[in-house]
Amino acid sequence: MHISEGILSGPVMAAGAVVSLIGITAGLKKNNYDQMVHVAILASVFFVASLIHVNIGPVSVHLILNGLVGLLLGIAAFPAILTALVLQSLFFQYGGLTALGVNTVVMAVPAVLVHYFFLPLLGRTSRLTFVAGFLAGFVSIGLSSLLLGVALWLTNEDFFKISVAIILAHVPLMIIEGIITGFCVSFLLEVYPEIIPHKKK
Amino acid sequence: MSTTTVFAHKVIVFAWVEDGRIHVQGSFGSNRPIKNCVIQVKRPGGILIHQAITDIKGLCSFDLPDHLESDLIVELNAGPGHLGQWTIPKDELIYEVSPEILEKKMIEKQALEKSPSPTRIATGIALIFGLAFVVARVKKTKCLKTS
Repeated sequence: MHISEGILSGPVMAAGAVVSLIGITAGLKKNNYDQMVHVAILASVFFVASLIHVNIGPVSVHLILNGLVGLLLGIAAFPAILTALVLQSLFFQYGGLTALGVNTVVMAVPAVLVHYFFLPLLGRTSRLTFVAGFLAGFVSIGLSSLLLGVALWLTNEDFFKISVAIILAHVPLMIIEGIITGFCVSFLLEVYPEIIPHKKK
Repeated sequence: MSTTTVFAHKVIVFAWVEDGRIHVQGSFGSNRPIKNCVIQVKRPGGILIHQAITDIKGLCSFDLPDHLESDLIVELNAGPGHLGQWTIPKDELIYEVSPEILEKKMIEKQALEKSPSPTRIATGIALIFGLAFVVARVKKTKCLKTS
């Protein structure tokens, strides 16, 4: 999911940087003092999750957990994901620094969308909470794959073939992330409901 | 054997000349070979001169090209957005490197393939919390000023 140096064209990288800058500014503005610890915890989760790899055929995919980060943070997922991506690039050599804007957009936009789609379902019943978490994890990876395809298409590649290949390669990851996110939000709702935005005491 | 390796979600490509053949190895690091992926050998300027597929060990080898007038760029495409690159200098194509240098480079390759150390992971997490602390302090100061 991390795009490397030398893959994207200049205009695509610039557009990604502008969109991510808007997202980061909005995220930082909306963040309040109390939420910062949650941002730090979830950014750390995102940072470390990339080290867990699953080999699927010739492709090696790793956990991303942008669905979990987005579901719990909303627009604040932008600065959290950017920080983690910078550190992943510097410490693990995942993705290129010049592609940072596009990589942030690819992972943060779906994260923010699942927040608005699935957060209202959390906490109604335990089953619905798990389903909402599963869908957040599943859909965010699907949308990220699609955005990755768009970014590559804009750099003059065959969009349809590439998008289908990327989404198919990520279907197992979509299921895995769905299950992990489902269990995580169910557990957090039980033991630490303060992390769920509308469940603050 | 120059080290212009490019990482993309850590795609590691390593190429060397031995016994008149070019050997290429691709991995995602941590002993995870890049299987059944396309290797392209190009001249500077992008002229394709050879194409091959890696085996289950992430390896492939092929004969040296007939004309050795320039460096060769070995590219490994490990899926959309994942590209690794290695440049074999012209000198190494003509004069094979000594076993000692080859061994040294293999050690360098093994170091690249290692998983990130716990120290790096811990440093990353500490930096995230440090940055969050700074942002939180700035926000608190702003809140106090406005109130």
